[in-house]
Amino acid sequence: MRFVIPSIFLWSTAATTLVGESVEEGVFAFLDSHCVECHDESTSKGELDLFAVSFEPEEVKNRETWTRIFDRVSKGEMPPPEENHDLEAEDRKRFVALLGEELTRIDRAEIREQGRGPIRRLTRTEYEDNLRDLLHLPHLDVADFLPEDRTRHGFTRVSKLLDLSRVQLAGYLDAAEAALAMAVASGVEPPEMKEWRFTGTDLFSSTSTFGGREAMFFLRNGKFESIPNQAIKDMTPEQRRDPELELAIFRSATWPYFGYPRGFRAERDGEYRVRFSARAVRQLPGFRVVPAHDPIPMSFRSRQPSGPDVSGDVRETGGWMDLLPETKEFETTILLKAGETFEYSLLGLPVPFIRTDGGFFYDYPPMPPEGHRGGAIQWLEVEGPIAPQDWPPESHRVLFGDLPVREPAAESSLPVEVVSENPEADAARLFRKFAECSARRPVPDESVEGYLDLIREARESGASFAEAMVTGYQAFLCSGYFLYLAEPRGEDAFSLASRLSHLLWNSSPDRELLEKSEDGSLFEPPNLRAETNRLIADPRFERFVTNFTDQWLDLRELRRDIPDGRLYPEYRKDDYLVDSMERETHAFFRAMVRDNLPATVLADSDFTFLNDRLAAHYGLSRETGSAMRRAELPEWSPYGGLLTQASVLKLTTNGTTTSPVLRGVWVMEKLLGDPPPPPPKNVPAIEPDIRGAATIRALLAKHTESESCAACHARFDPVGFALESFDVMGAWRDRYRGLEKGEKITGIDPAGHPFTYFVGTEVDSSGKLLTGETFSNVGELKALLAANPRPLARNLLHQFALYATGVPVRVSERSEIEAILDACEADGFRVGDLLRALVLSDLFTGMQNREIEE
Amino acid sequence: MNTPSILRRSQSRRRFLRGLGVGLGLPFLEAFGAGERQPPHRMLLISNNLGVLPWHFFPKDTGEDYTLSPYLEDLRDFRDDFTVFSGLSHPSVVGGHSTENCFLTAAKDPTGSGFRNSISLDQFAVDRLGQETRFPTLNLGVNIDRANRSLSWTRDGALLPAEDSPSALFRRLFVQGNRREVERRLHRLRERGSILDAVSDDMRRFQRELGQVDRDRVDQYFTSVRELEERLHTAGEWEQKPKPETEWKEPEDILDKAKFFEKFELMLAMARLALETDSTHIVTLMVDAFATPVFEISEKEKSLNGYHNLSHHGQAKDKIAQLERVDHRQMEVLGNLFRELAAVSEGDQRLLDRTMVLFGSNLGDANVHNSTNLPILLAGGGLRHGRHLAFDREQNLPLCNLFVSMLQHFGVEADAFGSSSGNLNELHS
Repeated sequence: MRFVIPSIFLWSTAATTLVGESVEEGVFAFLDSHCVECHDESTSKGELDLFAVSFEPEEVKNRETWTRIFDRVSKGEMPPPEENHDLEAEDRKRFVALLGEELTRIDRAEIREQGRGPIRRLTRTEYEDNLRDLLHLPHLDVADFLPEDRTRHGFTRVSKLLDLSRVQLAGYLDAAEAALAMAVASGVEPPEMKEWRFTGTDLFSSTSTFGGREAMFFLRNGKFESIPNQAIKDMTPEQRRDPELELAIFRSATWPYFGYPRGFRAERDGEYRVRFSARAVRQLPGFRVVPAHDPIPMSFRSRQPSGPDVSGDVRETGGWMDLLPETKEFETTILLKAGETFEYSLLGLPVPFIRTDGGFFYDYPPMPPEGHRGGAIQWLEVEGPIAPQDWPPESHRVLFGDLPVREPAAESSLPVEVVSENPEADAARLFRKFAECSARRPVPDESVEGYLDLIREARESGASFAEAMVTGYQAFLCSGYFLYLAEPRGEDAFSLASRLSHLLWNSSPDRELLEKSEDGSLFEPPNLRAETNRLIADPRFERFVTNFTDQWLDLRELRRDIPDGRLYPEYRKDDYLVDSMERETHAFFRAMVRDNLPATVLADSDFTFLNDRLAAHYGLSRETGSAMRRAELPEWSPYGGLLTQASVLKLTTNGTTTSPVLRGVWVMEKLLGDPPPPPPKNVPAIEPDIRGAATIRALLAKHTESESCAACHARFDPVGFALESFDVMGAWRDRYRGLEKGEKITGIDPAGHPFTYFVGTEVDSSGKLLTGETFSNVGELKALLAANPRPLARNLLHQFALYATGVPVRVSERSEIEAILDACEADGFRVGDLLRALVLSDLFTGMQNREIEE
Repeated sequence: MNTPSILRRSQSRRRFLRGLGVGLGLPFLEAFGAGERQPPHRMLLISNNLGVLPWHFFPKDTGEDYTLSPYLEDLRDFRDDFTVFSGLSHPSVVGGHSTENCFLTAAKDPTGSGFRNSISLDQFAVDRLGQETRFPTLNLGVNIDRANRSLSWTRDGALLPAEDSPSALFRRLFVQGNRREVERRLHRLRERGSILDAVSDDMRRFQRELGQVDRDRVDQYFTSVRELEERLHTAGEWEQKPKPETEWKEPEDILDKAKFFEKFELMLAMARLALETDSTHIVTLMVDAFATPVFEISEKEKSLNGYHNLSHHGQAKDKIAQLERVDHRQMEVLGNLFRELAAVSEGDQRLLDRTMVLFGSNLGDANVHNSTNLPILLAGGGLRHGRHLAFDREQNLPLCNLFVSMLQHFGVEADAFGSSSGNLNELHS
């Protein structure tokens, strides 16, 4: 592997050309003597034929080619160092300076003329978050009306890719319609809040669930009580609700399962308050139940009460709560759609296993020595939907201010009618306010007039005042003002405010930020810095944490592959582990920015964020509880640093085997910002041998033997080899598993499946970087990476810049990035500092254009 | 005429053709002018949510010269009209019967927290192609639990309920709609039309303030508006256009779930009728075996259990023997469908050559709830057939690869769908 040597800022000394020589002549003179041997029309290595390349860097496509040539030469990758070219360092430097300066000059001119990137539309999550904030509907769920955004290098915010199509526009119409329907008051009076209380056998939808008796039963005075399903029919309601009974559950809420309170169904969409009393227990042989050693986490899952099958959505709701060995009351708020119920979801427990040998039934995995873990519930109360304190709700008042509401006419499409004494004036007043809020900037009068015409026409053709207004609002939410984000060009503080808020909140600026835009004071660095800090401290910053890690690290791919049950039976259906991994990465990244951690934590750190499940996964001493806590790591632990987080190690595999190539490429691209070129066509990928006969290292030996493979693979394979010490879920391993060769391991997994796999060859995690440094294990690799923080920090800046502006760092901006790095170096390239410095830079604010225009 | 006798073969053949003459006339001529253009492509997508016994379905050898498996032997007459696939499945679509709603969507882990279904193949095609017919798609079911099961899902993961009543479907196809309903839908279309007018006027103002590059960039907006307006216009025309006439009479619904195969055949006949009258180009049909209680396998035989319990045969010999007879009967129904579609000509082609018929299941082995190695058969559509295309049974190929090729053949410009990793364009000859 090679750490990028930033060379473009080295040619700050003016390039010297021979007298009378044009840039083009100088460039081609160099290529003629050093490059054309391999890059001519007959050989054209790397699919580059220099005789077919003209020198017209004003053209975007042509400039991209020259930028690539420039990069390879300036990094010293071309001409290939191992081929003993008679290239003097001076010559290289001169070429780099000559071409670099020309590219920069042209790039700058283009930015001056056209801005650094095109206007872009909102992504689908930005569209949704904008609507959530605008309408005060925090749970609004309309993103899926829109087609998925295209991605490049994982990013959905790439301006160039954010096209608008008919499908997209139809999606906006639907999404806006749905959002506005949610926003309008659901009636003249708030919905009636109902209450339910469940005890005894009513706590569960049945008296048994899949997995046999051990999976779930009732307790009386802490002792097992047999209640056949048939018996329920003969009971009086009082007997059914016998408060002396406890419900005990010992399995996860995965298929097949239907564990919800008997007969509950939400009549309306909304939030419901759930209170319940429960404790953590252990089940010993003979259905004996004793207090647990450890807390057991649980949550709820909202879903249709459709029996063991599932249709539509399954959403975890209410958060994670830890049941304790002693009985305790809990309270949480869950989100339900009309018609849904909610099921008990104990986290990290086994699931039953279907047996079809001699009949067909569900079996339960064998009992571990300490017993089955589980939870016991004494009673549960629900009330809802929880009405907002004020009525009509805030979302309604965004649309209709304080105008009174009344019952609608029979043919109305809305649940209320809004009473307006002076519809013309009210429409103008309300619409103007709505437009300004949603446009994130002042909207010209003539624009507003157009929508008022639409509203007027709707009323004239028979729509009620409220219906007509909603039509106008729906239109505006599909307008250019709402859909597009303009590139700040130095004079427009509103664009800058939107860029900042979409970076950190994935949504529009709030009032405070808009006020600073109105008077232009946002351009003053102290104000911009203060606003940045304010936005980072806000809860909405969480959207940056999830969206940025989803896109930068591919974290949204975390659940792409399910671990192969043949080789990794212990992970079967362990959703709790996967969820915990994701939370670790979120917590870690949040801390990187908010706690201003040095960029080296990408490679290594002496702490991480853990809960009970993850601590066990990492082989650390016991943690209790599901909440992620910062924990110091012992010296011997291979964990610490983003690089070796389980989430990263999982998402870079396919669930069956690990690939040093894929993991290595991921590290180069995501952490070091030096993505290798795409794999050659017509060369099949090397598939790991899942029988266990050949080691991956032996299979990948080709990559070092063949010179043409080694040219790229030597850069990233070694990093991947170091990560071979981690299995497909990121747990430590010394030896590989296979399906045929090695020491035979058998058992029964947490889903009751009998398994057999083989533990075979030892993992060899040593390697040698392209720069010559060697390491014998992942710990040493991490030390090597952490010793050179500048590439890590540079890459972060590049990733932030792409996410923030929708345009990758341009050639002419590289010096600006280096300047930021210089400024942040003394303090160890702290991530919060890097982010703030980027926000204050010209490439973010567009100030370079203003200077030129002045 | 009265149903279910419409399916008694000899008679239905004649009546069916007579019906076709009248019914097809109007839309076909209008849509395809003087016959210069090819008749349209159609898709009929069928899934039985309990599948078939795998060992009798999959051929043992592969390629063109493969030997028909016992089940495929029932389709011998159409050997060159279908392709059988093995080693296909949806990656990470696990969760027993819950996979049934993912057959045409490939949405992963349907029982995991945070699951939401995604757009199904039929809806995806319509999104891209627009409304070419009165009904963009028809979504049908046999014995279906309409509230919880469907093959057809919107982009935001909402279930599109299946029609399980042939008579209601008949009325939708051929009986003029309720005036108020039509008026309401037209009103909504008009409202959308005025919204589009307003936003595109506004966009022109907005665009004036932009630089040249940005101005070019937002040109897409106007194209989108124009295209959407055309769609609204077409939808409006369909609302007002009289429905086709048919000599068929409204069929009587079969309410007895035990008459499973008769219901299945009747629904297929309705699907055929919808395709022939050009009422739609895409039909999905979920055969909800799961919700089928004890049923008639033949006039003489009833199933030992409900279909679901039967599918969990647990290697019991009597159950397996019975399942074989069930599966054979199903193949016979399928064979009859092919025969009907082959007997209709459109220009110089058979309707079968213009209709891709996909038959498959979300379960590869219902006995153990296995959702890999799905039984998949694709017939007709003018594709290259007559082969067993076999893929790795250990590491399956995504079924969506097949879907991508079907979409492309259907005229949709798409190189990816669901969990596809490529395509199976070797079907395009």
